Amino acid sequence: MGADHRVFLEATLPHLDVVYQVARQAAWDGQDPEDLVQETYLRAYAAFGSWRGENARAWLAAICLNVARSQARRRRRRPWEVTGSGLPDVLPLSRADGGEGMADVADVVIAGLDAAEVSRCLGRLPEPQRVCIVLMDLAGYTAKEAAETLGCPRGTVLARVHRGRRRLAQLLAETGVAHGRP
Amino acid sequence: MDGRDRACRLLAGFLTGDLDPAQARRWDEHLLECEACWRAVREDRAGRQAAQMLRQPAPAGLADRVAFAVEVAAAGQTAARRHGSPPARSSGWARSGGWQRWPRLAGAGTVAVAVLVTLVVVLLPGGHQTRSVPAAVAAVADYAQAVPPLARGQHSVSGGRAAPVEVGHPVTVTAGGQKIVLRTWRLGGTEAVVAVSSKPFPMPPRAQGVAGRGMAWSVRIGKLGLYCLNGRTSELVAAPVPAAELAALAARLPLA
Repeated sequence: MGADHRVFLEATLPHLDVVYQVARQAAWDGQDPEDLVQETYLRAYAAFGSWRGENARAWLAAICLNVARSQARRRRRRPWEVTGSGLPDVLPLSRADGGEGMADVADVVIAGLDAAEVSRCLGRLPEPQRVCIVLMDLAGYTAKEAAETLGCPRGTVLARVHRGRRRLAQLLAETGVAHGRP
Repeated sequence: MDGRDRACRLLAGFLTGDLDPAQARRWDEHLLECEACWRAVREDRAGRQAAQMLRQPAPAGLADRVAFAVEVAAAGQTAARRHGSPPARSSGWARSGGWQRWPRLAGAGTVAVAVLVTLVVVLLPGGHQTRSVPAAVAAVADYAQAVPPLARGQHSVSGGRAAPVEVGHPVTVTAGGQKIVLRTWRLGGTEAVVAVSSKPFPMPPRAQGVAGRGMAWSVRIGKLGLYCLNGRTSELVAAPVPAAELAALAARLPLA
């Protein structure tokens, strides 16, 4: 047995927790996130020879997302399906009337956080926004790492994560209002 | 980039501490006066706080499982190189029933195939049927279950007194925090896996103590019989034989 697998594990196992965060959100219904993590590591190990020692976290997350997508394609299902209807692509940055008559979105969200509801609402976000939120807010990546993972400019990641968070907060607020909270 | 997009990026940059001091100061001042942008800031924070609720630590044992899978993959690549076979790349090979063709693959490539089959079956989603037993025992059982049965007389342990012949090379894995060395032996018509660890293999819930053998125990997992002997090291024998034949089989294997 060669020694390279030990080098590989030393370089990548410290990031298991963040890969797991990504896998939990990227896994399609019925897929075990742990299986996805394992498959991610096996793909990464197979490609370890060509890895040039860049950011291991970004590299692993990119592999995890690719594995989830390719497995979902094989099953003809989309792991990052957008189920929301009528959601605007871009939320207005400013609301001139200040939302008169409506509860403050942030207050409603913070008062009524429920993990299952958050997960459901996160699942309703468009994929680009959801991926950015998963990478930055769940897995703890910096915007630069997320940009490396996704192969897009850092400014794009920042804009997506900001829009995604606001949309998530608004979806949760709507749910909160629907459940009778103020 | 339109004005709204630019404002969005600037605000996102402000929230992540990404702006230069002069820009950040301007945003600070702006937020004191602009209710709409202040709401955007509050929504951003609420959304981030909500998303962070979903963080969960990786389950205990996942690191062992991943390390085990990678070590088996490494062993598979080494064996494949040694025997001139291509390294395992896809679990689709197993799904397509490739492992069922094992009996026809006699000859020089068998060792490599055995290791590759081990790799694929162990790594298949849902291939872990032994999750209720301790990780170290489950790893040995998974490995032994992945060794394909021989085409002839699988359960003829008691027949013939031929010496056991080692098949392939030892494989070292780590599971449940235990380092385990796995060797495969051919004895008569049976393949038996002998796992050796410096730590005792944990006794699975349904295991039974074996009388007169100190801390020995045996258990059945699927078609496998497992027999553990604890001495200076802990040795776990796994083979597709009836429980009554386990002790006889273990006695004929080169245990410590």
